[in-house]
Amino acid sequence: MNVIESTALGKRYRRKWALRDCTLDIPGGHIVALVGPNGAGKTTLLTMAVGLTKPTEGGVTVLGGVPAGSPDALEGIAFVAQDAPLYRNLPVADMLRVARCLNRCWDQRRADDRLERLGIPPRQKVGELSGGQKAQLALTIALARRPGLLVLDEPLAALDPVARDDFMTSVVEAAREDDISVVLSSHVLAELERVATYLIVLVRGQVQVAGSVKDLLASHGAGLEEIALRHLRAGVPTTSGTDTAR
Amino acid sequence: MTTGTTNASPPATARRPMPWRSIGWVTLRQRRGAMIGVSVLLGVIAIYLVIMAIIQNNAYAAVTACHPAAAVKCQQLAQDFSSTYWGGHDSALQSGGAQTVSSLMFVVPVLLGVFVGAPLISRELDTGTFRFAWTQGAGRTRWALSTLVLPAVLLTAVTGAFTALFWWYFRPFLADGQVSEFLPLAFALLGVAFAAWTLFAYALAAFTGTLFRRTVPAMAVTLIVYIVLAIGTATAIRPHYEAPVTEPGWNQGAGAGWVISSWIKAPNGQQLSQAAVNRLVPASVQNSQSPDAFNNWLTSHGYTMWQSVQPDSRFWQFQLIEGGWLLVVSALLIAGAVWLIRRRGA
Repeated sequence: MNVIESTALGKRYRRKWALRDCTLDIPGGHIVALVGPNGAGKTTLLTMAVGLTKPTEGGVTVLGGVPAGSPDALEGIAFVAQDAPLYRNLPVADMLRVARCLNRCWDQRRADDRLERLGIPPRQKVGELSGGQKAQLALTIALARRPGLLVLDEPLAALDPVARDDFMTSVVEAAREDDISVVLSSHVLAELERVATYLIVLVRGQVQVAGSVKDLLASHGAGLEEIALRHLRAGVPTTSGTDTAR
Repeated sequence: MTTGTTNASPPATARRPMPWRSIGWVTLRQRRGAMIGVSVLLGVIAIYLVIMAIIQNNAYAAVTACHPAAAVKCQQLAQDFSSTYWGGHDSALQSGGAQTVSSLMFVVPVLLGVFVGAPLISRELDTGTFRFAWTQGAGRTRWALSTLVLPAVLLTAVTGAFTALFWWYFRPFLADGQVSEFLPLAFALLGVAFAAWTLFAYALAAFTGTLFRRTVPAMAVTLIVYIVLAIGTATAIRPHYEAPVTEPGWNQGAGAGWVISSWIKAPNGQQLSQAAVNRLVPASVQNSQSPDAFNNWLTSHGYTMWQSVQPDSRFWQFQLIEGGWLLVVSALLIAGAVWLIRRRGA
């Protein structure tokens, strides 16, 4: 089953195309790294897949053929947007209750256990949490929804190295425990190399390479980063070095 | 991870939508600050109105108890009551009486509406939390309806109930005939108008907030549109809810209703302009100290005075007409905001 499947997908904001003619299949059962330089259309692709915005052209389905943005799709996908937006003025416990009240499927014990393990006090305001704690809270909420697919957009961008490592460990553990598919985007592959089992390199909305990490490593005989870099260079002929950390 | 199963995919059968009670809790929790703010503002006003209403009603009781009513002493008492509590005939802002206070109350509906309505959606869009709210299982349409409609209902109910205080506060002046219920500053606070204008300000602020994605511009635009429309309604729209009654004479004071316009007819039935009247009436009469000299001169020379009025008996009819169209406009604005949310992308 493909957790995300797009056909000739395109999105135009005013006069500028953010994504054009993007056809790709993201298979389930993986931790998928969606890698590409800034402006490759990663966020645009993901926001359409989670139903936040509608395509200008083409189509996208999720969870094996469910139209993106439909009630079934919303219920089956947990999405954590970049910078993990949550209500800063609410205490953590109330933030959880907000999420519980917006989702039929909700595992409160799971959320409570995770927060306790992470040492996040329920009475603390969300706005007072550290960047790492906030990302972990967003992940906790996403996992308590018991989704079939977890979508994380640039989850590591705002985190320090220790928090990044902790966060990725949490994602891998959760994916294994819950047996869910994960799609995460980043413009820095190094962060995802350790955990990704499937790699998609996207440049200007076009898939440069897609395949399971095991197969890619076997066929290319090179490190994952080198494979990706080679394809990123190929996809961006005029400039080099666009794929740098912000 | 080698397994390809996704056992947590959504159940295909009998998927019911989230109950309104749950989503409503989210709305109320997020509006807690606004609800406290509204309570404090209305609470402070209520305390003032209660104190003043008690004082005014007691003072007016002394006026009505005075016998005989025609005695100089009683006339003086009534006049003192009026000038002390209603306010002088100078600028409304100089007097400090109920006239001033009611004028200031003009801004209360728009303050409440802007304060509650403007941040509703704009803050979600501004801070990016809509990316959380709109990707939950409840779906964004239900979320939008709850977020927009629940505060509207609460705000309308609270301000509607609050109107009872205004009635009490105004009672002596209305009973005295000093003030017509149709006087714009009274009309706006009595009946259903206070709640309806608050609802309208709220809906406009919520809509502009959704449109602009920013709280402050939404507040500014709402304030300007509200003030223009409220003043325009009182001066240009409200007088035409029903054709005014034309009657002879220039009646004013208790029970005369709301005078829309007045004019003078020549003995041949021709209507005179203000300039013609000024040319006609001798300066000595126009400048006379006696207030009746002008009218007496006109009558004795065969001229007749006319006026068109909205009788006091039409008060509730006009209240319901105004409340009705404000309700329709507010509902359209809220529907417009929901429509914008549904089609808005990330």
